[in-house]
Amino acid sequence: MAAEAAPMDEKAKRMRDLLSSFYAPDPSITTSNSSINASFDNINSTSFDADQYMDLMIKKSNLEVLLQRHVQMAAEIKNLDTDLQMLVYENYNKFISATDTIKRMKSNIFGMEGNMDQLLQKIMSVQSRSDGVNTSLFEKREHIEKLHRTRNLLRKVQFIYDLPARLQKCIKSEAYGDAVRFYTGAMPILKVYGDTSFQDCRRASEEAIEIIIKNLQTKLFSDSESIQARAEAAVLLKQLDVPVDSLKAKLLEKLEQSLDGLQIKPEEASKLVEHDDSSNDTESNDQHPAKIHEDAVRGFSEAMRAYREIFPDSEERLFKLARALTAMHFENMELYIRKRVSAADFLGIFRIIWEDVVLMDEVLPEAALSDLSAEAAQVTLKQFVARTFSHLQQDISDTLLKFDINQKEAVEGEVLKVILEASQKAVLQGTTNIFQDFRQLLDENAGIFIKMRDLISGWIQKGFQDFFRSLEAQFLVLSGKTSSSNDIEGKSSDKIHAGLILVLAQLSVFIEQKVIPRVTEEIAASFSGGNSQAFENGPAFIPGELCRVFHAASEKLLQHYIDTRTQKVSVLLRKRFKTPNWVKHKEPREVHMYVDMFLHELEEVGKEVKQVLPQGTFRKHKRTDSNGSNTTTSSRSNTLHSDKMTRSNSQRARSQLFETHLAKLFKQKVEIFTKVEFTQESVVTTTVKLCLKSLQEYVRLQTFNRSGFQQIQLDIQFLKAPLKETVEDEAAIDFLLDEVIVAASERCLDVIPLEPPILDKLIQAKLAKSKEHNNNNNNNTVSS
Amino acid sequence: MQGGSSGIGYGLKYQARCISDVKADRDHTSFLTGTLSLKEENEVHLLRLSSGGSELLCEGLFSHPNEIWDLASCPFDQRIFSTVFSTGDSFGAAIWQIPEPYGQSNSSTLECVASLDAHVGKINCVLWCPSGNSDKLVSMDEQNLVLWSLDSSKKSAEVLSKESAGMRHSLSGGAWNPHDVNSVAATSESSIQFWDLRTMKKVNSIERAHVRNVDYNLKREHILVSADDESGIHLWDLRKTNVPVQELPGHTHWTWAVRCNPEYEELILSVGTDSAVNLWFASASSENKTSGSPVEASRQRVNPLLNSYTDYEDSVYGLAWSSREPWIFASLSYDGRVVIESVKPFLPRR
Repeated sequence: MAAEAAPMDEKAKRMRDLLSSFYAPDPSITTSNSSINASFDNINSTSFDADQYMDLMIKKSNLEVLLQRHVQMAAEIKNLDTDLQMLVYENYNKFISATDTIKRMKSNIFGMEGNMDQLLQKIMSVQSRSDGVNTSLFEKREHIEKLHRTRNLLRKVQFIYDLPARLQKCIKSEAYGDAVRFYTGAMPILKVYGDTSFQDCRRASEEAIEIIIKNLQTKLFSDSESIQARAEAAVLLKQLDVPVDSLKAKLLEKLEQSLDGLQIKPEEASKLVEHDDSSNDTESNDQHPAKIHEDAVRGFSEAMRAYREIFPDSEERLFKLARALTAMHFENMELYIRKRVSAADFLGIFRIIWEDVVLMDEVLPEAALSDLSAEAAQVTLKQFVARTFSHLQQDISDTLLKFDINQKEAVEGEVLKVILEASQKAVLQGTTNIFQDFRQLLDENAGIFIKMRDLISGWIQKGFQDFFRSLEAQFLVLSGKTSSSNDIEGKSSDKIHAGLILVLAQLSVFIEQKVIPRVTEEIAASFSGGNSQAFENGPAFIPGELCRVFHAASEKLLQHYIDTRTQKVSVLLRKRFKTPNWVKHKEPREVHMYVDMFLHELEEVGKEVKQVLPQGTFRKHKRTDSNGSNTTTSSRSNTLHSDKMTRSNSQRARSQLFETHLAKLFKQKVEIFTKVEFTQESVVTTTVKLCLKSLQEYVRLQTFNRSGFQQIQLDIQFLKAPLKETVEDEAAIDFLLDEVIVAASERCLDVIPLEPPILDKLIQAKLAKSKEHNNNNNNNTVSS
Repeated sequence: MQGGSSGIGYGLKYQARCISDVKADRDHTSFLTGTLSLKEENEVHLLRLSSGGSELLCEGLFSHPNEIWDLASCPFDQRIFSTVFSTGDSFGAAIWQIPEPYGQSNSSTLECVASLDAHVGKINCVLWCPSGNSDKLVSMDEQNLVLWSLDSSKKSAEVLSKESAGMRHSLSGGAWNPHDVNSVAATSESSIQFWDLRTMKKVNSIERAHVRNVDYNLKREHILVSADDESGIHLWDLRKTNVPVQELPGHTHWTWAVRCNPEYEELILSVGTDSAVNLWFASASSENKTSGSPVEASRQRVNPLLNSYTDYEDSVYGLAWSSREPWIFASLSYDGRVVIESVKPFLPRR
């Protein structure tokens, strides 16, 4: 089959080629085409040259092939002839059938035109008919449309005429939302025709709307309404084009005004807390102010919440308000603590404020109120701590000075003791109270406090450190040792009572030994935190340093006390030695006045010291031993003197000085200037020593005649006994008294001492006199 | 404390109160001292520190007619000095000259150059003008201030002017301002008074009771040091006299005298009746010391007392820095012991 198909194809192809060449309009193209492909053996090409082909065939092929070729060619030619025949036949057939068809068409078309005219006619008539119907219905339809429009208009007019009534009805039923909708719907018409046809109607509805607006405003302002309702009212008002902003401003103003009411006024603050305390026993009174305040704040925060919802754009303003309130609270608090306030009261107020802040913070979390108030609270708390300390200091100095004022009228009696005890108590009690107070602060659980606990501890430590330091400074100022900068120089030193200095000295010792250790313990126990972070530069409370400071202060003050006391005596002595002309002194008649004054001063010192200072641990066994030593020393000095006198009288020996030197060498060098201790005896002894030393120095500056010397001798002799009574270190006193005599004799032009009997007599006279004087005094006091 | 064992001692025969540096002697470190004895023959000793600084030699010994309460060496002539003396019931003051060939001869007599006899009451002191070669002198008694002009060649002294300070102020001593030759400070019962010598008027005063001694700081203008009974030593700035610049505790008993070192401005010496000499370091000055090194400041704050020389038997009244060797001072206690000490170990490092 395949073999058959191939020649078939070939055949068909050739056929097509032939046909195409036949139909081709331009033979040149085909010629050129074929000439390219042509070869001599291609019979189908146009340029085929039969002769050439023949020649070639004959030349190329043998006979057999030629014969074969001939047969083949003959067959092909035959085929071609049949094909051609077939083609012609077919074409002919087709031509015949076409002619037939044309013949049939010609007969069919005949008569069609008439039909067409008929159709046209029919269509024309249909159209005219429909036009007729249309024109006949048009008028009616116009009418209907008009009627419809009128009806609509009428309905609208009706609505407007009904509007007031409808609005009234809405007002009655409080359906303000509907009312506003109606009104805004009618608004355009009313706007256009309001002045002409609907004047009444418009007026009525406007009245109604006014009522509505009023109602809405009251609703907005009334606190009893729900927030939802109020918010709606605000929205409706906004729809009605009522200026809401001014309303808002008014509302906020009102809110602002209410702030005043919320203030915790310093005067009332205490009441707030007091009632809080007393609520336990008087239930009926039921902590009014605090409650009221709480309610007020609650109301305030509610209002804020409401406004926030109503006017979402006014947050800033509300923040400001809330902040203002908080700030005001703390300001007032600061004012409040300017007075003395206990920690409990302080905490009470603080708690109230904190509650307020929490309430407001709930409403306005964005206002950062808690941060703000925490900051303010820190400041306030710090101030409170500082103030507490300054109050304590004030207390202590008040205690010290209170008695000092009375001191003049009071019999000297026990005043110093009272002062000392009172001030010691003040210090102790004060510090204890402070600790209690601060412990309360620490125990407080209100939000901020927890955060600040460390800080508080730090402040307290620092507070104590500063407190003690400034207390020490104040002691020194009080004692007149250092004049405070704003004091006028000189004014202070006269006024200060020496006893007070002594009290201060002893108080310093007390603080050093008792108070500071206690404070240290307390701090270690309850306030140890806060050091690490708050004070990088070392711990705030350094007890060691404070102890040192107070130790130094106590010594300084004690020295200062002795100085002021000896100063008094020194002035006395100065007067004594400056006034008379010692070279022309008259014979001694009696012991001089100044001795009395000197002894009186000493007595005073003794009294003061006894009240304030403790007794020395080793009190000298006075009576038993002193007699012995008394006699020996006095005899020695006596012998010394008489020795000296005789010699100097007899030969005016130059060796007088060596004599005294020699005597000194054999006598133990007496330490005059020993360290003062905090005992009665030590202070008295030191005072006496210093006074005698001064006496000696004054004597050395004068020149005496015989009587002058004798006067000194008499005075000193008289001093001997009472001084030994009072003084611990008898040897030193003896030494110093002798020194005075020696100094006088050195400065005397004509040394002849009084005879012992005369000396004795004069002293006895003096003793008798003073005794009498004392008796008189006693009698006087008794009788009076 | 470190005792005075390092000091060089010299014993006078009698009690004594005053010692003075011989400023005009530029070749030797010398001191003049005079005794205070009511009944014996008083002496003036001229002491000289040996070149090695190890011995104190008596260069001259002169008898003086009365007990000497004050002695001051002339700043321009080493042979001239002034004394204030007492005969027991009266006081006098005179200028003396050491006789030319002074030497080994004991108790050679002094030549009296001039007698300052314009006083009646108790004379306190004679001050030489510190400018060096001026012939001006000031003598003070309890009520009066007298300015003298000395002519040593003519052996006479004449009163230039005299002014009464008034009965109420009993003057007790003074110092001549080395920075202003017209100004003299005088101590009185209740104040330190400043006198202008041109007008002889009191120009200023510091209200301070019982000031015993004052001294100007040679190196620091406007600084005056005072010693009083009550509260020790005070440094004053003369431009603002209401508050002292610094306070030093002074002595256990009275502080008798203070002297500023002529070379080292911070060093102050004081002597007292507690038989001690104290050496102080007073750096504080109102303005220029704020920039001082913190170390120095802290040292000063810790303890201004550099040293206390306590090896004395009696009250110390006499005190003088040597102007030739400013680290040396002489002190004199009442028992007649002169002690020369060196403060070299305490000199501020520069």
